[in-house]
Amino acid sequence: MESPRIGLAYLAPYLIGLLVFTAIPFLGSLYLSFTDYNLIQSPVWSGMDNFRELMNDRTFMRSLRVTLLYVFITVPLKLAFALFIAVILNYRLRAIGFFRTAYYVPSILGGSIAIAVLWRYIFADAGLVNMVLTGMGLEPVNWFGDPVNALFTISLLRTWQFGSAMVIFLAALQAVDKSLYEAAAIDGANKWHSFVHITLPLITPVIFFNLIMQMVQAFQEFNGPYIITGGGPLKSTYLLPLYIYDEAFKNFNMGYASAIAWVLFLIIMVLTVVAFWSSKKWVYYAGDKRS
Amino acid sequence: MRLLTTTILAGLMATTAQAADLRMSWWGGDARHAQTQEALQVCGTKHGHQVAAEFTGWAGHQERITTQIAGRTEADIMQINWPWLPLFSRDGTGFADLREFSDIIDLSQWTEEQLAGGEMNGVLNGLPVAETGRVYFFNKTVFDAAGLPLPTNWDEVRAATGQLGEGVLPFEAQGLNAIFLVSTTVTQMTGKDLIDAQTTTVAWTPEELAEGIRFYLSLVEDGAIRSWQQVAGEGNIELFEMRPWADGRIAGTYEWDSAYAKYADPLGDQELVPVPILQVDSAVNDGTYRKPSMLLAISARSENPQAAAQIIDCLMNDPEAVDILGDSRGLPASRAASERLAAEGGIDPNVAAAHDLVLAGNGPVPSPLNEHPKVREIFGDYLEAAAYGQIEPEDAALEMIDEMNRAIRSFR
Repeated sequence: MESPRIGLAYLAPYLIGLLVFTAIPFLGSLYLSFTDYNLIQSPVWSGMDNFRELMNDRTFMRSLRVTLLYVFITVPLKLAFALFIAVILNYRLRAIGFFRTAYYVPSILGGSIAIAVLWRYIFADAGLVNMVLTGMGLEPVNWFGDPVNALFTISLLRTWQFGSAMVIFLAALQAVDKSLYEAAAIDGANKWHSFVHITLPLITPVIFFNLIMQMVQAFQEFNGPYIITGGGPLKSTYLLPLYIYDEAFKNFNMGYASAIAWVLFLIIMVLTVVAFWSSKKWVYYAGDKRS
Repeated sequence: MRLLTTTILAGLMATTAQAADLRMSWWGGDARHAQTQEALQVCGTKHGHQVAAEFTGWAGHQERITTQIAGRTEADIMQINWPWLPLFSRDGTGFADLREFSDIIDLSQWTEEQLAGGEMNGVLNGLPVAETGRVYFFNKTVFDAAGLPLPTNWDEVRAATGQLGEGVLPFEAQGLNAIFLVSTTVTQMTGKDLIDAQTTTVAWTPEELAEGIRFYLSLVEDGAIRSWQQVAGEGNIELFEMRPWADGRIAGTYEWDSAYAKYADPLGDQELVPVPILQVDSAVNDGTYRKPSMLLAISARSENPQAAAQIIDCLMNDPEAVDILGDSRGLPASRAASERLAAEGGIDPNVAAAHDLVLAGNGPVPSPLNEHPKVREIFGDYLEAAAYGQIEPEDAALEMIDEMNRAIRSFR
């Protein structure tokens, strides 16, 4: 067999997967967003109707607000926490391998239904968290019944899944040249100064990478709010993916749901472009000529 | 002898349907899951078919069915909720026409009126498993322990507040149950269903609906039921899964008669009983919400519709299957099944009593649009907002009616 064919054979599973599970549904949903499609009957072309309706849809606007709030709370919180743990795990501690594994485990489990159910029990009225609070003589908190607390609780679940971002941070931290710290120490820099002026600038490419990845994932959050709060109370955790799901599979508006999905895609794309644009000002790569 | 009979029967049936691999989907609680699987085993053996069971809880089942139908991967036999018929089969072609299998399914066990409930556009899409309705259930053990009689009206429910023990509430209504509570209250006061079948518009005035919302809020204020906020604090779970229900710290609910086992099972030794419908003072009728219960339907795309029909007939009419299924889906609509269960004593007396209450109650015939997903969502959203004090009942009612009318416009 000639080498191009071998290469193609190796690529085929990925290409088929990309085509069947990503490209075709992607383009299919674009087409459906311009149709009135109730899943049972064939789609009927409706032009821009779905997008016009979106502009006057109060549920969409509320869901969009909640989604943006969720992303702006969750992503910085998760990145900060992941970096904090990575810095700790970068020290030479006893049983460091165990700790690194232990902190990574929630990322493997975190998105699962079982963990969402567990979260629901932990933060329920008579759950573990309130038991601890009352044990300490504090008032129990209504985590799911209060709109502000509910969104925060859902955000915590995603923050708890910081492992993958942490591993990437850890790799970046280990790549920082130690001689820079030694030179800074000679010049009188303390740990905090070294972290702010050496570590942070040198790992900005990784911070940028994690920022993009976590933002995209946060915009797609579904399991947590669906299982834990059902989008309530008062739609305070009703993220756009839940609205897409309800419109598509409860209200049979697949065309409208596709339109929402595309608006969500465009928002993610715009924010990603903004992030790339801003990266010129704060991300430093090796060989960068900026002073 | 039984083996011989089974063999002969299987041989006879083989003349109308080849041995087939089938799938059946349904929703329900643990008891229904176990009994249905056992009955499918029996019916599959009798007719020489393998029937794979696909079962879930109520939550998310409609979405699952929708996805399957859209993807053309639905099960051969499906348990369908009555209000889903116009959604999945507006012109009657969404499911197989069961009259085409009248030589296999003994349709004479249902009245024409019952069968009409499973028809869309004159096509028999679903066979009614049972007729169901909303019933008030109370934990008799809790009331007995407090030396109180079971409530017969709302004043007695309010009076029981604080008398049942520390932290014990006489009733619970949140989410869907709160919607039904408000709905029943307004129907009792006005004699009208939510939807006017003639005009396909909301039949209630904003004042009437606001009165119903205020009634619900007054129960919360009086401490007879937990606030929406408190119940939401448990997370997204149903009442029968909640610890306060299992512990007897919540002593009443308003549920489908067919859901009796789901709510009684977690109570263990405590006894859950139905009571006659609780009326508001100005009631002009009982406001009973009664409808055809779940239906069994055959996929329009099933490759083995005859085999599926054999399984449906067996589940609904065969004495052995009827004995196994018992009242797991409420009292069967099939005459053969209900007579068999009555004769064998296979019906839980509380299920029978609940069903009698449903049949005895009066009220307008509800439109399936009461349970249209969008109508439900609008009702629930505004009721929740009123419960959180974010909107006055009058404004909630106005907005609700306006949005519901827009949601059901396409059905006119």
